[in-house]
Amino acid sequence: MHLYIGGKAQGKRAYVEMAEGGGADIISDYQEVIRRQLRQGQDPIECLRKLLSEKPDVVIICDEVGYGVVPIEKEERDFREAVGRTMCEAAQAARTVVRIVCGIGQRIK
Amino acid sequence: MRCLVTGGSASGKSEYAENFAVELSRGGPLYYIATMEPYGEEADRRISRHRRLREAKGFQTIECYRDIHQALAFTPDPARSTGSAADAEDGSVAPTVLLECLSNLLANEMYAGSALKEEPEALAQRIFRQIQELDQRCSHLVIVTNEIFSDGHRYPPETEAYIQSLGLLNTMLGAWTDQVCEVVCSIPVLLKTAAAAAAFGKGEERCQF
Repeated sequence: MHLYIGGKAQGKRAYVEMAEGGGADIISDYQEVIRRQLRQGQDPIECLRKLLSEKPDVVIICDEVGYGVVPIEKEERDFREAVGRTMCEAAQAARTVVRIVCGIGQRIK
Repeated sequence: MRCLVTGGSASGKSEYAENFAVELSRGGPLYYIATMEPYGEEADRRISRHRRLREAKGFQTIECYRDIHQALAFTPDPARSTGSAADAEDGSVAPTVLLECLSNLLANEMYAGSALKEEPEALAQRIFRQIQELDQRCSHLVIVTNEIFSDGHRYPPETEAYIQSLGLLNTMLGAWTDQVCEVVCSIPVLLKTAAAAAAFGKGEERCQF
């Protein structure tokens, strides 16, 4: 698995398509996948492990969402927590981790 | 050595900071200064998660919610303790201290305790001086802070003052510490390194500029 992270609207999708080429199996906006899993009462980390066991070569793109003031709403706090912890797990499992800022990728693993 | 560890929420920065402090201590005394005041179920859950992570790593926990310069006031005199890591020049053993975390400490100083209304800058300056005072009793100090600056929201004045204070504190500590590290999805990204860092086998340069 290859993991690409970064803030909103940083050119992640275009960067990944260039870096990974046409045939890659890409899941973008993974934070929205996590949001859906939380609403359905699923454990995002377990879901990620299942995904990786089925598709070890998948490419995941996810927004970084943890760089703000702690939200007042519990659902938002839980969302940030879940995205953060799930991406820690993903980064540990990933072969490469690239962080994209201003369209520029910095490989951090 | 002084080290600042930053990162977003749930980025794995606590675990990284703990492991780093353990390495720095080299078997010598190791203190964990916990600043999170227990208030309700969510805090309890976070606290017990952090406590589990610290278990078996050798930390002695000190609860200190404000006035951080006094955190080590009731610990044994470093000069009288025994241990293998003799970092002080006179052979006494000062502890390695992990301070976690600044965002809680600042909130405690701002919203609880004294009713003194300090300007954001004065507040940051005061906490910075108190951390420097704390540092005088430490052989190594690892400080965990938080990136809360990039959500684009405009908050009420009190919250904006809090953000200002924490940002200022982070920049002061960034200048003062030997090493600054941002933890991203559990991966440490070094923003500032020191020659001292190389001595601890942590000198891998990741900065691209």
